[in-house]
Amino acid sequence: VSTAVTTRATTGSPAAVPLGRRVLDAGPVLALVLLVVVFSLVTSRFFTLANAGSIANQAAILLVLATGATFVILLGGVDLSIEGVMATSSLVTVLLAANDRNGNHLGYFAVLVGTAVGALFGLVNGVLHTRMKIPSFMVTLGTGAIGIGIATVLFGGQPPRLRDDGLRAWGTERIAGMPRLVIIAVAVLLLGYLIQKFTRIGRYILVIGGDEQIARLAGVSVARYKLYAFVLAGTASGLAGAMASTQLGVGDVQVGSGQMFATITAVVVGGTALTGGRGGVPQTLVGVLLISVLANGLILVGIDPSIQRSVQGVVIVAAIAATAWTQRHRLRVIK
Amino acid sequence: MMSTPNRRVRPGRVWSRRARLGVACLGLVALAAAGCSSASESSPNQGKPVNAKDLVLVQSIRSLSNPYHAEWAKGGEMFAASVGMPVQTLTNEGDSQQQLNQIKSVLSSGKTVVLNADPNTTSDTQAIVRAVQDAGGFVVTQWNKPGELTPAQVGNSWVAHIGFDGNTGGYQTAKALFAGMNNTGGIIALQGILDDVPAKERFAGLQKALSETPGVQLLDQQTAHWTRNEAFQVTQTLLAKHAGQVKGVWAANDDMALGAIEALRAVGLAGKVPIVGASDAVPEALQDIQAGNTGYLATVSTDAYWQGGAGLALAYQAATGKFDVATAPPASRSFYGKEFLVTKANVADFLKTPTPTDLAPDFANPQARNVGPLQ
Repeated sequence: VSTAVTTRATTGSPAAVPLGRRVLDAGPVLALVLLVVVFSLVTSRFFTLANAGSIANQAAILLVLATGATFVILLGGVDLSIEGVMATSSLVTVLLAANDRNGNHLGYFAVLVGTAVGALFGLVNGVLHTRMKIPSFMVTLGTGAIGIGIATVLFGGQPPRLRDDGLRAWGTERIAGMPRLVIIAVAVLLLGYLIQKFTRIGRYILVIGGDEQIARLAGVSVARYKLYAFVLAGTASGLAGAMASTQLGVGDVQVGSGQMFATITAVVVGGTALTGGRGGVPQTLVGVLLISVLANGLILVGIDPSIQRSVQGVVIVAAIAATAWTQRHRLRVIK
Repeated sequence: MMSTPNRRVRPGRVWSRRARLGVACLGLVALAAAGCSSASESSPNQGKPVNAKDLVLVQSIRSLSNPYHAEWAKGGEMFAASVGMPVQTLTNEGDSQQQLNQIKSVLSSGKTVVLNADPNTTSDTQAIVRAVQDAGGFVVTQWNKPGELTPAQVGNSWVAHIGFDGNTGGYQTAKALFAGMNNTGGIIALQGILDDVPAKERFAGLQKALSETPGVQLLDQQTAHWTRNEAFQVTQTLLAKHAGQVKGVWAANDDMALGAIEALRAVGLAGKVPIVGASDAVPEALQDIQAGNTGYLATVSTDAYWQGGAGLALAYQAATGKFDVATAPPASRSFYGKEFLVTKANVADFLKTPTPTDLAPDFANPQARNVGPLQ
């Protein structure tokens, strides 16, 4: 019974999707295209290969974070521990790889441990949220602070420098003209898409986000799949922390500063509803590109730095409003 | 899961929970009342010398997760050790409300507080010094201060404010950068948070240097909010925007300069484009300046050890009566501390951690680095 319910709730046949909804789903894509066209018209420096490379590079870490966060937001939850997890992962990775503080030189294994630390944070988030019934924003706010705390202790007053040239190359070098971090980010994106589309985890998360009660009645183990979502998000944050360290060459508590807000914005601007049950990884890609293109384009166009933030805010609000306008009757809760 | 519904309807449980809540509320009220009363009781002895054993030494800084404040904290610890007392370090992670609450908590502990504070923002300074004034403590503030407010206006509890003239640092580092570019070519500038006073002053210093050096043009200026990862991204974009034209990078602090270096490295320009940071002298910047292979030419040190140690020493001397706040001239209560331009020539001096012996003269005379009244 449960399989039948989920299949109908999540996929549905393409023919059954009304035209209006398809236009609405294309909203963020249209906004992205519009931005690209406008920036290309205003400045000749925007639509170049070099600038595409720099946009891709800047989007890489955000894309990894946002792909993970998508699963939690699809549930109707939120993960505010991103910056704390990145901080701990960043320091763990650097302190286990060759660095100027101790004699470790675990190489890629250090990145693996850093990512695993993220997964562990996700697990703790998930367990506290599902077993102790604490709202996700409270749990993750707390664990995020714990992450910053652990990182501060490991930091010991000065950032350890990453001395592993192999790992550094991942942050700074290119393969066939493509920054290596972008390749990782695309791999994570694909993996996220496959999980969402072809595994039970992905589909049940959508069902739970759509209506938890129905999912439970249909026999879905709600707690277990929620847990998976938080582990996915934590793992992504852990990997992102390690990536940021290879890019900046240090283990730093501030390595994720500003990323939490950018991540949630990217997921939501892309078209994943904060109320859960709608959206997915492909939408998140669009959201991440929107945010990155916007930040890049405003600098290229030469908007005065003191009003850039406001312009960013206006464009984001406009994009969300445009997306949500046709769907306002379907948004059950707006808090 | 099964037992949850049962628990909800048991009346005894509900009552006892409510009762517990009530007790908790009463407790909170009592605590608050205690806090208020002890604060107001101690207010009459404002500005009067206090016996050293009734003092508690406190430093309030943003966090221990950046090298600058970590050094500040160590300086404070060295001073405290020199007078045989412990020091309490309050960190607020940039949260202004938390900073004020933490300070109010130690003020209500009953002892006389000797505080050396780095207020998060300009508007926090007034709240902090007034809280200390009301409780009869002694506070030295650094960096952020509302322009029109002076310690003398608030009272003897606000011992002094120490600022640093960003104009000089911005100007000197810009000159060092231009010299490294043979005074020709385009530069990009990374600013701090645009409405921070030091950010404005340092950028003004850069502009002064630019006006004196016609061969150097400012291609672009952007804010990276003092942070390394934003500086990385902004620099990357600016390097794409002004491809081939960027011959130098000026950043308002070291963290942003270090982020910019990584962006230069990603396009194969690290070491080829000179770069300076107009403040902080963080260890990584100093190491880069010494190594000379990343193009890092200069930074400015306010000597965080001195800020932590001498700032606390000044407040302590006011508390013990050695520094007479009531009769001190305005120029020794609101002044600029000394800044040092750090280049390859003198970087070795700044890479060493100072010993308590090195700092002893400044603990004895915290005014030794007073380079003039605050503008």
